[in-house]
Amino acid sequence: MVHALREIRRVLAPNGILIDLRPVSDRWPIEVISAQEVHETGRVLDLPNPLADDEAANRAVIQASGNGWFLRDREEFFPYYYTWDTPSEMEEWIAEEWNDFIDMDEETKRATRSAWALGGAEAQVRVRVKMLITRWKAAQGL
Amino acid sequence: MTLQKDTERNETKYLHGFADFTGKRVLEIGCGEGRLTWQYAKSTQTTIGVDPDRDALRVAAVDRPSDQQNKVHFACANSQHLPSAKETFDIAILAWSL
Repeated sequence: MVHALREIRRVLAPNGILIDLRPVSDRWPIEVISAQEVHETGRVLDLPNPLADDEAANRAVIQASGNGWFLRDREEFFPYYYTWDTPSEMEEWIAEEWNDFIDMDEETKRATRSAWALGGAEAQVRVRVKMLITRWKAAQGL
Repeated sequence: MTLQKDTERNETKYLHGFADFTGKRVLEIGCGEGRLTWQYAKSTQTTIGVDPDRDALRVAAVDRPSDQQNKVHFACANSQHLPSAKETFDIAILAWSL
């Protein structure tokens, strides 16, 4: 990761900026949304791999900053929603696509199905992914 | 399966809040199928998207709008060996890839 940041610094013009946009592990909430409300039914379980990835990414940017390659300029978190029409579709997606980094316990699955069933015909389910966006300014004279 | 991503378009809002892409030379690392690319590339001078996944890049190339054929290009590469000369870009985006 540090090598990648050095390579990015190489191809950036003086006064160039780097935007780092990535999800961060934080036991993302599961929500049922209906016409009436947004109801949190539980949270996903973070598996070890993504936590290790987050730590490695954080170490890399700290090292890049410490090396004087970039200066942190601005940083914010924001929500990024993955939305499905039914709980079963969400469970299927998590089992097939996200099985390396998150899981759901049975209690959360049951709570989500119940809330969705009570939410009316237009109810949907979603995972609120925590996103981090950081703007770095390329330092001069690498 | 009816998955919708970023239904509130927060990613696009924040991306544009953090950078002005107008007339800029942009490098996107981890562009994949170009999902994020199409949210900003139209106003750039040039955009180069790189990704190690050739299949994803083929999708991105097919999806490229006709008015961006000459300004948006894709290359198969990883972030440790970028196929560009020194000081080529005004903005680099690490898209879900650090």
